[in-house]
Amino acid sequence: MEIAGTRLSNRPDMENTASPKVRFTVSALRPETITALLVLLATTLMMLIMKALNPTFGSLEQIAAILTTSIFLVVASYGQGLVILLGGIDLSIGVVMSIGGMIIAGLTNGSNQALVWAIPVTLLSCIAIGLVNGLGVAFLKVPPFIMTLAVATAAFGVALGLTAGSSQRTVAPALQQLMSARITGIPIPILLIGCSLIGGSLLQSRTAEGRKLYAIGSSVAAARIVGLPIEALTIGAYGMSGLCASVAGILLAGYSSGATLDMGDPYLMPSIAAVVIGGASVTGGKGNYLGTFAGAIFLSALSTIITVLSLSQGWRNIIQGGIIVVALTLQTKQWYLQKIANRPLTGQGSPNRALSQNSKV
Amino acid sequence: MVMSMKQASREKGRPLASSLFAAILYVVMFVIYSINAPSAITLGGITDLLNNTIVLAIASAGLTLIILAAELDLSSVGVIAVSNVLVATVSTKMPAGTIGTLLLVCLVGLLVGLTNGWLVAFLGLQSLACTLGTMIMCQGIALVILDAPGGEVAAFIMNRLTDTVFGMIPVAGLILAVVVLAWLLFRRTRLGIAIYAVGTDAVASHLTGIDVKGTKLRVFALAGVAYGLAGYLLSAQTGTGDPRVSNSFLLYVFAAVAIGGTSLGGGRGGVIGSVIGAGILTVMQKLLFAVGVADFYTNIFSGLIMVVAILFGNLSAILTLHQRMPLTRHGDRGYSAQ
Repeated sequence: MEIAGTRLSNRPDMENTASPKVRFTVSALRPETITALLVLLATTLMMLIMKALNPTFGSLEQIAAILTTSIFLVVASYGQGLVILLGGIDLSIGVVMSIGGMIIAGLTNGSNQALVWAIPVTLLSCIAIGLVNGLGVAFLKVPPFIMTLAVATAAFGVALGLTAGSSQRTVAPALQQLMSARITGIPIPILLIGCSLIGGSLLQSRTAEGRKLYAIGSSVAAARIVGLPIEALTIGAYGMSGLCASVAGILLAGYSSGATLDMGDPYLMPSIAAVVIGGASVTGGKGNYLGTFAGAIFLSALSTIITVLSLSQGWRNIIQGGIIVVALTLQTKQWYLQKIANRPLTGQGSPNRALSQNSKV
Repeated sequence: MVMSMKQASREKGRPLASSLFAAILYVVMFVIYSINAPSAITLGGITDLLNNTIVLAIASAGLTLIILAAELDLSSVGVIAVSNVLVATVSTKMPAGTIGTLLLVCLVGLLVGLTNGWLVAFLGLQSLACTLGTMIMCQGIALVILDAPGGEVAAFIMNRLTDTVFGMIPVAGLILAVVVLAWLLFRRTRLGIAIYAVGTDAVASHLTGIDVKGTKLRVFALAGVAYGLAGYLLSAQTGTGDPRVSNSFLLYVFAAVAIGGTSLGGGRGGVIGSVIGAGILTVMQKLLFAVGVADFYTNIFSGLIMVVAILFGNLSAILTLHQRMPLTRHGDRGYSAQ
């Protein structure tokens, strides 16, 4: 039996919110970090195997291309990660990405001057969609699964009505250059990935607001007793998810120099998978952005590598699905081995797992 | 332990109330629909509506079992796709095609379900992510079996399963009645009760001697069979094989479960609600079409109706539970009162 009192007493998140310095020293050894590094290692290994099988694969150009195309998933899954950290889920990411791309392409229509106001308009519209999600989840208590699905369906309807389904005109050339230009030989998207990794990690793991998300995700009840602004933070996390999705949509529009209403759809399921492969728990309270980042890079590299293989779409899907399952198995085994000494009784994969895991760090 | 047993028994009243609200919503929507489309209340209209409902209803019935046990499953669209292309490729070639194919798709569903269950229960994988993996794999298998829409479904399956028996009872309605009846019997069985217990509190269930892992494995297997059956019925509706079942169908399956009053956190709800939820989603599309709403408005209304349906469910939960709040992770109001 888990009684509220015992759960509270050994809940580390509370103490750490109060003293972030302690967290800093501990965090270097956090199991999440190990998971993230393992996933990155697996990605490298996968590329090396590919190189061994096919010597023409794996030039620097190709690796740069893999990283460039991973930026959409890396950015979009950050927002998904924040929402999942709260124990929620955001199913509107695909639609919001498409809408972000459609708005930026429609507003700029090939002109660089328009970017100055088109970017804020795009971001604000998409943040608004995220905020609607957050409001529904926080105040109407609609399950995140349904709220974000409903909002995505409705938002798609609005976009379909406004555009009549036609693909938009060309996006501003500056955005296209952004996705293809290089600074000192390094493609700009790769630099952007680096920035988002550092910025995202700092925001999620080092700020008070970020730590509060962990606290809420671990136990809403405990967070409420401590007096955390649960509603505001929930709305903020969904708004942030909308923001990330719109940035990913803008970048995707720049990369493909145009936008369609369904271009974001292929990123929805991978954004969830990236977060989970990165060591987060879908019940909330666990995971960090380094892990999500590693998961996103892994999935992007996987889909690129599989495209290189000359296989039919069916076999590619089978391999991709299989590798996702294997990656999860390896990641879970690692958790399991660390946990076994402490909590042999915990029901595996149950919601309570997230609770018990948090009682030791 | 004692507390969680009490909690479980107290919560038995709730799904009834919320599926009652869903049923009221369904009736209201059906009445509006039949006012706008008078053919809706003819036998043909009802058969048609039930035919459109049944695939979603069976798939969401399967998912309900998994959600009751506090897990999630995305593999439904994968299994439905495999089952659909199997029916389209083998039903005309096999001897005893109708029964043989039915057994085959149920077996395929069972295998996928057992795989999911093993990964979740025994390897401890997070169900949402690992069923995403098996879903992608199943979609791949469907593409390998049939790489483009096509194939042929045996005429018997196509004609008989979408028709009526004795000229008055739609077969789809009969199948739904069997599913509901099977559920009413199943929830009284040892496994049926164990699902609720595991979904409410896995640790407490383990301590009371319930085989948590075995329960989860069986639940995934049962759900897999339901998905296989849903794919079989889908083939009967479409008469052709299509390896790409859209992901939006998957989301509708989840929406049907949630609208039916089953808590996505596990332990509360039931199959009847999900069947009504599937009915609401289907009649909603028919209603919007009958009223003559433009295509893009249909999407907006779909979103709106989903939220309204959930709010109905929430309202009923508040009405039935206002005096005692449970001390669970989700119902945190009990804490703040202290």
